[in-house]
Amino acid sequence: MYEDTKLIELKSISKSFGDTEVLKNINVYIRRREFVTLLGPSGCGKTTMLRIIGGFETPDAGQVIFDGKDIQKVPPYRRRVNTVFQKYALFTHLNVYDNIAFGLKLKTPEELLPNVKKPSRKQVKEEIDRRIRRMLKLVKMEGYEKRSVDALSGGQQQRIAIARALVNEPEVLLLDEPLGALDLKLRKEMQLELKSMQQQLGITFIYVTHDQEEALTMSDTIVIMNGGRIQQIGDGKSIYDEPKNAFVANFIGDSNILPGVMHKDFEAEFAGHVFECVDEGFKENEPVDVLVRPEDIMLIGSDVGMLVGEVKSVLFKGVHYEMKVDTGDFVWKVHSTTMYPAGSRVGLSIVPSNIHIMRRMEAEGKIEA
Amino acid sequence: MVKRLYKYLRGTYLGFLLVLLYSPIAVMIVLSFNESKTRSKWGGFSFKWYKELIFESPDIIEALKLTLAVAILATVISVILGTLGAIGIHAAKKGYAAALINLSYLPMTMPDIVTGVSLMLMFVFVNGFISLPRGFWTMLIAHITFDTPYVLFSVMPKLKQMNPNTYEAALDLGCKPLRALTKVIIPEIRPGIVTGGLLAFTMSLDDFVISFFTSEQNNLSMLVYAAAKRGVKPNIYALSTIMFIVILILLIIINKRSDLENIS
Repeated sequence: MYEDTKLIELKSISKSFGDTEVLKNINVYIRRREFVTLLGPSGCGKTTMLRIIGGFETPDAGQVIFDGKDIQKVPPYRRRVNTVFQKYALFTHLNVYDNIAFGLKLKTPEELLPNVKKPSRKQVKEEIDRRIRRMLKLVKMEGYEKRSVDALSGGQQQRIAIARALVNEPEVLLLDEPLGALDLKLRKEMQLELKSMQQQLGITFIYVTHDQEEALTMSDTIVIMNGGRIQQIGDGKSIYDEPKNAFVANFIGDSNILPGVMHKDFEAEFAGHVFECVDEGFKENEPVDVLVRPEDIMLIGSDVGMLVGEVKSVLFKGVHYEMKVDTGDFVWKVHSTTMYPAGSRVGLSIVPSNIHIMRRMEAEGKIEA
Repeated sequence: MVKRLYKYLRGTYLGFLLVLLYSPIAVMIVLSFNESKTRSKWGGFSFKWYKELIFESPDIIEALKLTLAVAILATVISVILGTLGAIGIHAAKKGYAAALINLSYLPMTMPDIVTGVSLMLMFVFVNGFISLPRGFWTMLIAHITFDTPYVLFSVMPKLKQMNPNTYEAALDLGCKPLRALTKVIIPEIRPGIVTGGLLAFTMSLDDFVISFFTSEQNNLSMLVYAAAKRGVKPNIYALSTIMFIVILILLIIINKRSDLENIS
């Protein structure tokens, strides 16, 4: 990545509330026009990180660089970012139109119309009106101008909150779990709409969520956090295929994670069996965590499997069945389109490229961002 | 059958209570329109006492002016103090806020006589250093002290209802802190401010005990009390009727407002 495409950079950021360390030495950069998701369980520090970028929290240590300048001392009302808050925080004393107009009315005529010399009041009013109508069209809420925000549904309020932020043409839009309060169907629709808005407008989105599926659907880059530390940064596919540790593997997608030992390059032992694998670069006999995704396990006849076990339970999940298979040392979660009834004996087979070896979390120590 | 009896009893009981509560006021209102001066005789309907009250009772009009001036000023000042106080408490840390809330409750629950006597003592004490005779200004200060908590406790729930990010949203959209307060926070909590102001005005308008201790100038309640000792003239009935109606109207407005808020 070229240095000049970095729009925001957090350098060694730490933050505590009282005795609780919320962020521990965070290093991350965000590129221009990127859709970045901060993903993690609640309490992992993702919202605090977003609030530091928005200017609502001051870090105890470290730097926030925006477009090459340290913006630590810049108050929120001078930052070129806007925020869509959790539960929207719309102004209930204003109608839809005036909510969206709020930020524009605070700008000077020169800021609104840089190409016009001494803009008249009428020109300013028309410009504000033009921008609001364009936003209402973008969020598909034309015709709602005069409505009270209290009279809108959750999804509609969400759209107005997005319009109110985007109308100011920020360089970065911060979104704090904006879809959390919506039902599943609406949430999926809004995910796609948000993504297309971001591509259409070409601005940077920083999105906070605890929903891994949401993160995978929308993001160019996912930053996975836990316990105030960044666990892994990457695009959805690389995080899914190559999780750095057991936490990431567990958080993104379904997984079987079990302890194992790396005998030598390309050879690992786990679940009482020696497997061929594609990983290298570990110490001889290093204890490791092994990840096998449930869809990567093939169920075959019990006489030919690498491991043999008994099907304990079967759940129908729509496209596939989810079966629990007990091989004595470990109970495997297996996804398969073929169903084996509970109680039957099956063989398990895993191809080398589907075995993913991870360093032990304790041994990992600090994870470089 | 039992059901009907039950219904009947319930209606009677309610009626009995209402009669008990409001018959004295009804009697007074009726008598205020009595042509005759004696209470025992109905001399026909007339506005005589109302005319006398307005045109021939300069002491009552003086007291009315004082009452209104104090009520209006005390309301305006306590609305400002109470609103800012509520915003401050809302933003304060939990333990500190709880302490401040309890301290503000105290004057509301304290007997008026305690508030009155202690304020009187303070004014007498202060009068030893700077000239502060017990009159308009002392009464005003006293009314501000008991009005402010009413505003505070009308505004606090509105602040609690507000989305916690509202202030930050205003900053985010380009407001400086003071502007966020005037353009967003205060409009958002305005219903609470208005209700608090109406309550404060009502309290101030009919206060007797605290005013009695803190002022030598009579407000309306004090005047009625003084008149009662000499024997009440029917123009006092007329005055009391007007006060009753004004306060009734204010209370209806306050109740209507809180009903509306509960709906939305």
